[in-house]
Amino acid sequence: MSIYRTINRISRAATSNYQRLYWSTPVQQLPPHYSRFRSSSEQVLGWRVISPWFSRSFRSGGPQPQYEEDQVDPFSLVADELSIVANRLRSMVVAEVPKLASAAEYFFKMGVEGKRFRPTVILLMATALNVQISKPASEGVVDMFSTELRTRLQAIAEITEMIHVASLLHDDVLDDADTRRGIGSLNFVMGNKISVLAGDFLLSRACITLASLKNTEVVSLIATAVEHLVTGETMQMSSSAEQRSSMDYYLQKTYYKTASLISNSCKSIALLTGQTTEVAMLAYEYGKNLGLAFQLIDDVLDFTGTSSSLGKGALSDIRHGIVTAPILYAMEEFPELRSVVDRGLDDPANVDLALEYLGKSHGIQRTRELAAKHASLASAAIDSFPENDDEDVQRSRRALIELTHRVINRTK
Amino acid sequence: MSIYRTIHRVSRAATSCRRLYWSTPVQQLPPHYSRFRSSEQVLGCRVISPWFSRSFRSGEPQPQYEEDQVDPFSLVADELSIVANRLRSMVVAEVPKLASAAEYFFKMGVEGKRFRPTVILLMATALNVQISKPPSEGVVDMFSTELRTRLQAIAEITEMIHVASLLHDDVLDDADTRRGIGSLNFVMGNKISVLAGDFLLSRACITLASLKNTEVVSLIATAVEHLVTGETMQMSSSAEQRSSMDYYLQKTYYKTASLISNSCKSIALLTGQTAEVAMLAYEYGKNLGLAFQLIDDVLDFTGTSSSLGKGALSDIRHGIVTAPILYAMEEFPELRSVVDRGLDDPANVDLALEYLGKSHGIQRTRELAAKHASLASAAIDSFPENDDDEDVQRSRRALIELTHRVINRTK
Repeated sequence: MSIYRTINRISRAATSNYQRLYWSTPVQQLPPHYSRFRSSSEQVLGWRVISPWFSRSFRSGGPQPQYEEDQVDPFSLVADELSIVANRLRSMVVAEVPKLASAAEYFFKMGVEGKRFRPTVILLMATALNVQISKPASEGVVDMFSTELRTRLQAIAEITEMIHVASLLHDDVLDDADTRRGIGSLNFVMGNKISVLAGDFLLSRACITLASLKNTEVVSLIATAVEHLVTGETMQMSSSAEQRSSMDYYLQKTYYKTASLISNSCKSIALLTGQTTEVAMLAYEYGKNLGLAFQLIDDVLDFTGTSSSLGKGALSDIRHGIVTAPILYAMEEFPELRSVVDRGLDDPANVDLALEYLGKSHGIQRTRELAAKHASLASAAIDSFPENDDEDVQRSRRALIELTHRVINRTK
Repeated sequence: MSIYRTIHRVSRAATSCRRLYWSTPVQQLPPHYSRFRSSEQVLGCRVISPWFSRSFRSGEPQPQYEEDQVDPFSLVADELSIVANRLRSMVVAEVPKLASAAEYFFKMGVEGKRFRPTVILLMATALNVQISKPPSEGVVDMFSTELRTRLQAIAEITEMIHVASLLHDDVLDDADTRRGIGSLNFVMGNKISVLAGDFLLSRACITLASLKNTEVVSLIATAVEHLVTGETMQMSSSAEQRSSMDYYLQKTYYKTASLISNSCKSIALLTGQTAEVAMLAYEYGKNLGLAFQLIDDVLDFTGTSSSLGKGALSDIRHGIVTAPILYAMEEFPELRSVVDRGLDDPANVDLALEYLGKSHGIQRTRELAAKHASLASAAIDSFPENDDDEDVQRSRRALIELTHRVINRTK
């Protein structure tokens, strides 16, 4: 991965000479700012998304630090737009019946909105593909968020979040979960019935919003993603021993459960911005590979937790009898692990035995390698987008690539 | 209602035709009629039921039936099996367990009354203006045009949504049986039932999308939202709301009438009708659905006899306050406190039934149902004139016949 970054750096250096100062702050604190011109490092051009941190230092007139050009913070880049989307979401899930309203908005309240990973990807993709024909030279903040097209793209983010939360509500009912996002799960707090209904309500709201976009291919894509969520959940619930030990089955289920929604949303963004089929497929490939990489690392972290040694993680998958990629790889090296798993992972002794095998195997490492492969496929998809010199577009694309790194490198 | 029929009969007699009257029960009358003097001349008969075609081929004299009596269900029987077969193939899922769950209520024998698809297919013919029609000899396959397939899709979508809501409702209510067999949650568990419901909903959305008409997508999605809202209204009403007729009618619209009314409207939109005609189709569905539910409420008390108490009494025992009780509350305010005390107590149920028996609750509910049924009929009568097409006329009469049956049924 560091090789990749070096190559990236070299290729950019080749296109023009400019000075760069390197600022040694952690990546997360770097504001999304760069300059491509030789002259004064204080010149800021085309600066559209102004994060509070940046605008304060700008106004203070201090020297502007130059950051390594290809480092952008994806989440800061879309922070402003995300609050617009979040507010709209809260108003969209208002229901007529107060009880239903409380249930539906439960996971959209401030503080429990989750990481909002999907909306972040979708908004970045929207900018990365949003070809603007003419752009006035900007002074101050140009409100690019209010065009009709942009609102439609934001709607995809809203729809995706509603579907995601609906699936969480139903999953928690199915799994009798007590907590979610650090608070009581809705079924725990308000009961199963209202949770099932709230999930149905969010699904139908999502469908109504989809319909308002007047693009039936998009409706079809998103509805297919919903079907995949259901299929994936059922695959997990009802697999035979044979299927549970199959990497192909596992990857298919993972695509359905984790990657289908984000990949079809990315493709929808491409379709709504009038891209060609080829570009739409690239957007789809980005979402798909990002989602798969995310889930594979999730599987690893469930074993390793915050340290790289085995066993410090939550181990919740294996304790629920869910066989994930590291174990599947370990089974390839140690076929006897298969019988341990078949004997039943509800028995803690079997869990310990399985962990032993895992530790002896290369399961964790091979899973990380697979995740890295998908992450770089995702990056490659972005790199294959049609050329576009617009700075916002460039920045968003770099942010999307940055996301593929973060997904791999995260420790929680 | 019999006055209505007489007026109907007289107006058709004025166009001059001879008729023999055949005294068989309405359900056995084949969909056949003739508007010309010769009783043996059959023209433009497209939907041929097996019964009819046998007697036709045998060359016996054709009985003439009272012209305005059509059997709605026979009229669409052939097309319904096409729709049913397509539905079974549409709910095939990749994962076998999900497939078994999803198709559970689409198997032969447990498809229910298929009331909604019947209404939708009849509406499709009633509004389907065909510009040129060749004189027909034998059966013209009118079912295979692209437009017709799209209209059938509305029937399929509506059934999928309806079954999805049944699956979820049974989970919510811990029901053991449905349509005479074990409920899906009873047989396969809650989890798969919730998932199967979600699966059917998403299949319905995919099919909706394929129609490439976003107004229709919007209407049907709104109907799904109404189903949810209605169910929640029922679950979570305050004592005040539970005693309110307005709240009850709103909930009933959401739970029972919204899906069929929006489906009818969708049929109108897909056949290119004006907004006014689309609203008439909507009004038909809405009033038919309301009438149906109101009689359902009555039958829960009266069952197969007209006297009180022979019915299943399942609503009241579940604490669900329906129209007859609400009307009785208007006459006997003290009934309100009985209800508030809690209908899980059988003594209170008996007391409530006493009050109901003394009141005009049952009668007034029947009157309200009849009013909605005639509003539905009136909507059909307001459809644009289409005197030439016999199929259109026949379907419209069938739709009107349905409004009568909904009122007169005893179970």
